[in-house]
Amino acid sequence: MNEVLILGDVKEGALDIRTLELLGVGRKLAGDLNGELSVVLLGEQVSEAAKEAVSYGAARVYKVEHPLLAGFRADVWVASLEQACSKIKPKVFLMGHSITGMELGPRLACRLGTRLTTDCTNLSIDPQDGLLLRTKPVCGGNAVSVFKCQGEPQLATVRGKVFEPVAAVDGKGEIVDVAPAIDESMIKVESLGVVREEAVALDKAEVVVAGGAGLEEKEGFDMLQNLSKALSKTFGNVMIGATRVAVDKGWITSDHQVGLTGTMISPDIFVSVGISGAIQHIVGMIRSKKIITINTDRGCTMFKVSDYGIAEDYKKVVPALIQKLEELL
Amino acid sequence: MKELEIIVCAKQIPDPEAPLSDVRVDAEKMEVIVDAPQVISPFDENALEAALRIKEEMSAKITVLSMGKRVSDTVMRKNLAAGADKLILLQDEAFENLDSHSIAAVLAEAIKKIGEYDLILTGRQAGDWDFGQVGLILAELLVLPCVSLAREIKVKDGNVLVKKNILGGYEEVKAKMPALVTVSNEVGELRYISKTKMLAMLRGAASIPTWKSGDFVSAGAKLQKMNIVELSSPPDMRRDCEILEGSTPAEKAEKLAAIFRSLR
Amino acid sequence: MTPYRIIYWQIGHTAHWIFYTLSGISVAFFLAGMAAYILVWKKDAASVELSFSWDALKRVILDAFFGLRVFRGDIAAGAMHFLLFWGFLILFIGTVSMAAHEYVVSYLTGTIYLVYSLAMNVAGLILLAGILWALIRRYIQRVPRLERRLEDALVPFWLALVVITGYVVEGLQLAYLQPPWYRWSFAGWWIGSLFSAAEGKDLYPYLWWAHGILSLSFVAAIPLTKLFHILGAPAGIYSQNYGKPVEIIEGAGEFDLGDLIFFDACMRCGRCVEACPSAGAAEPFAPRDFVQAMRRDLWQKYSTLGDIRFLGRSEVSEVDEKFWYCTTCRACLEVCPLYGGAFEAAIKKRVLAVEEGKDVPKLISQTLARLSKYDNPWESSRNKRGAWAEGRDLVDLTTTDTRTDICYFVGCTTSLEPTAQGEAQAFSKILQSARVNFGILGKKEPCCGDVARRMGELGLFAEQRENSLNIFDEYGVSDLVTFSPHCFNAFKNEYPEAPYRVRHYTMVLRELIAREKLRFKEGDVATVTYHDPCYLGRYNRIFDEPREIIRSIPGLQLVEMSHHGADSLCCGGGGGRMWQDLEGVGKMSEVRIREAEATGAQIVVTACPLCRIMLEDARKAAGLNKKLRIIDLNELVLQALKERD
Repeated sequence: MNEVLILGDVKEGALDIRTLELLGVGRKLAGDLNGELSVVLLGEQVSEAAKEAVSYGAARVYKVEHPLLAGFRADVWVASLEQACSKIKPKVFLMGHSITGMELGPRLACRLGTRLTTDCTNLSIDPQDGLLLRTKPVCGGNAVSVFKCQGEPQLATVRGKVFEPVAAVDGKGEIVDVAPAIDESMIKVESLGVVREEAVALDKAEVVVAGGAGLEEKEGFDMLQNLSKALSKTFGNVMIGATRVAVDKGWITSDHQVGLTGTMISPDIFVSVGISGAIQHIVGMIRSKKIITINTDRGCTMFKVSDYGIAEDYKKVVPALIQKLEELL
Repeated sequence: MKELEIIVCAKQIPDPEAPLSDVRVDAEKMEVIVDAPQVISPFDENALEAALRIKEEMSAKITVLSMGKRVSDTVMRKNLAAGADKLILLQDEAFENLDSHSIAAVLAEAIKKIGEYDLILTGRQAGDWDFGQVGLILAELLVLPCVSLAREIKVKDGNVLVKKNILGGYEEVKAKMPALVTVSNEVGELRYISKTKMLAMLRGAASIPTWKSGDFVSAGAKLQKMNIVELSSPPDMRRDCEILEGSTPAEKAEKLAAIFRSLR
Repeated sequence: MTPYRIIYWQIGHTAHWIFYTLSGISVAFFLAGMAAYILVWKKDAASVELSFSWDALKRVILDAFFGLRVFRGDIAAGAMHFLLFWGFLILFIGTVSMAAHEYVVSYLTGTIYLVYSLAMNVAGLILLAGILWALIRRYIQRVPRLERRLEDALVPFWLALVVITGYVVEGLQLAYLQPPWYRWSFAGWWIGSLFSAAEGKDLYPYLWWAHGILSLSFVAAIPLTKLFHILGAPAGIYSQNYGKPVEIIEGAGEFDLGDLIFFDACMRCGRCVEACPSAGAAEPFAPRDFVQAMRRDLWQKYSTLGDIRFLGRSEVSEVDEKFWYCTTCRACLEVCPLYGGAFEAAIKKRVLAVEEGKDVPKLISQTLARLSKYDNPWESSRNKRGAWAEGRDLVDLTTTDTRTDICYFVGCTTSLEPTAQGEAQAFSKILQSARVNFGILGKKEPCCGDVARRMGELGLFAEQRENSLNIFDEYGVSDLVTFSPHCFNAFKNEYPEAPYRVRHYTMVLRELIAREKLRFKEGDVATVTYHDPCYLGRYNRIFDEPREIIRSIPGLQLVEMSHHGADSLCCGGGGGRMWQDLEGVGKMSEVRIREAEATGAQIVVTACPLCRIMLEDARKAAGLNKKLRIIDLNELVLQALKERD
């Protein structure tokens, strides 16, 4: 039976949004294969997440529970998945291209004797042979390639923020326990501790509001801060970005710098205020899903790479925008 | 104390810094042709830097392996100029466009032929195809403890101590050697190799050992090529910008607010 | 009675010998100190040879005896130093003369003695006046560039004490002897009049010994303090001026003897700090600190007893990566009384860093890699170099067999930087308008090597230089005109035995205007100010040509910024800084743009593509978009050209 299996990611007991995206693409593939969509979850206790997966339309959810699976340790996770796949024998197995996926995927592929394609931005089934067609950007994004590989399961890691997350449905899937045969001796890499870092994770933001020389003064960033507050009521993680000129001027610290010598980002929405669009900056944010520009100079480069723009003094637009956002959202 | 044996796997690729305008995608031949010089893949240079730093702390010998259809002696000598002790080129037509598993298999055979080693370092992914698999598969094939995405590597008492990237920070781990570690750029840029050092290394008499497939790959090994079904150029960066008009700034702002609403 | 002086009055025989011993010790210390310097220099210098040069000697005579460099920009300082110098020198000669009189031939008697005594008295006053002026400048006026360390107070007070005790000693003898010629020793006499004859006799030995010991220890202390410059400065002036070879690639990262003498002779006068744009923009680099840190490092490294300037041993300053801040603008060399170029030492440190490899800033590393692979520091591609000329119908010397009169060498910035390409086109349009027969090298244009050279990558520079010469040879280039002053400087001064003539475009424009090949139409009235690029102005002394060009354009009124000509303030783009990411790097350009604003001009004219970019950024950052326009001289000329019939 053609089963499309998704590795679910559980964060604080609930399914991570990337898993919902995987479910979305998984469902499509399952449809193309005339098969079923299922989810495998690893952890110490994943019942809640399993029920949630059912509510998102998984036909079957495999719970792989074991105390050793409490945190992510690749050695036992790979072993558990290897065993699970041998039992489940899915046609297709998808993981997110996250730090865990990046480590599990290749090792699992080797153990299962199959071939993996990483960081896929599109997936479909080849109607002729039922194999998975994996699309991924290569050469630093300078080309796009579609691969096809032999082996079962058809294995791929999927780039985040590309596919639409699936909506909740009235799911009636079953939850199955898969007991892993793992023990301490399998763990070859010992964890000595985790250190959390307080960096401005600009690349994790969903919306970035960035300011440049056109702000004309440090206080411009205060105004952008207000805008980001107004937006964060709806848009989750909203952060402040900046161009190099703004950083050099001392208006903001360099960890907010977007660009070639700052951070490369691809948020859902990039709002550029008072930025003309030097190439070193553009390269850092061009992969944003939607780009909105506010600048007095209608001819500046930023408008050429934007989806929406207002050719106006930001000091006149932004306060009005904040007000409108508060009304509408 | 015995000398620590480190093997670094370094891939030769066209300069990933080349702009889009210098990249030509031949959809028919399914080849990406880059008008740029050949260089060492950036993450592999990070791996070499990690190895060199270990060598600064203790007695170590660094052997660099590079594999491909045609591997340039000139390009790869940079490893020696940087401070690696030995360079071995694995060069054969049969090594062209192999898939990740086969690349790892070939490297595994080469490493088995080399024999003794304590630590294998690779970059986390290659700058051309960006798969990020070879290092991890290699660890599986050689049955080695494996740590990926290292940002700092130290060696102590037969163990390798690694700080590795995780979401929101880093994790400190320990593994017994022999082990394999894949390296991320946070480890640090490869130290600058001056032109005079490079020229001195190029003029240096020592010839670089080059192994063909038959020299070390077992007879029955099945090497598979990457199966590319389609190859195309990426879409244009320019977008059609919709300029929001209005008789007052407030009007324009209102239109923009509506757009934000639609993007929720 | 013949005028005379008793040298060893009341100083007995044994005392004589004590005195001789002390003198011997003092001299020994002095010589040992000098030997220490020479040992340190020998250990570090790449070469310790100094050849004879009449020019250098002339410079020493003029600068040492007349202190001309010290007058530059600060008449008060020059005058003060003049007093110190001549006061000290005369007293020194006087002391030597006295020793000669005592031990060789007795000649300081009679009229000779009177003149001698008068001269000594006057000299002492001159010296005291100099010391007093120096102390006022440093401690009361608190001139900003002068430091106030222990040494800076100790040395003048000590010297003053030597002079004063000298007067007192003379005065005491005069008080007792009351000779008729006392007026010739008027200052000593005045002091002496404060004592009775008996006091004169009693106190004299004490003061004699005091004066003696103070003087002897002063001599011994010369190598231990900044007084070393008494010998070091003339040596420094000589070694900096005797005409070093154009450049030696081998060992070019090593300090040569001239550098070492300069470090040790540096008086910390601070003129370099005053002139340095980096220090002026509150960056963590100042030439004086750098030179002193170099000096300390050398002594700690090569001297077994450590730093000989023991008073300053507790000073700590990290040189670290600070030498990457230097823009190599040469302002320090322009003002240093010793002709010392801190920027050259900074570049040498870069050479060492690049060779070693580990302490090279990431962006420098990346830029050098780009230069090496693509022959330009801007883009990772060779293919766009000729793109600025597309559709312009210019002769590409590399694709046709035509040979033209001149070769227009565009340079990387003007070829590749999108905002600068208009300038490249402007000059080509002007040349076409003037019917000049010129060609370009298009895509094959090589890199002049300036960036690599300033960043310290000499191997890469040598390679680029060889490549450029090959290209010129292959395409028959014998007359170069460059856009960038950096290319101009490289081709002119750093390519030895180059078989071509090279000019900067301002020289060509000026000539074309003089020959009436370019005519201007009546234009709008505007006030403009001209920013002297470091590499055109200070490095190559081309100050007038651009100004003449501006003045030939009708309607333009030229006003000067407070720092112009040889004192021009660097824009901050040189020395590889354009490609670095230093903290607060925009401040330097902002200082300059504010100076431009202060002139009231509407237009700032530049003659260097890097200056234009830096000042543009500064203009934006300073919010002066509406008040000022930055324009390259070519574009200014082009706009004003009358169409040829």
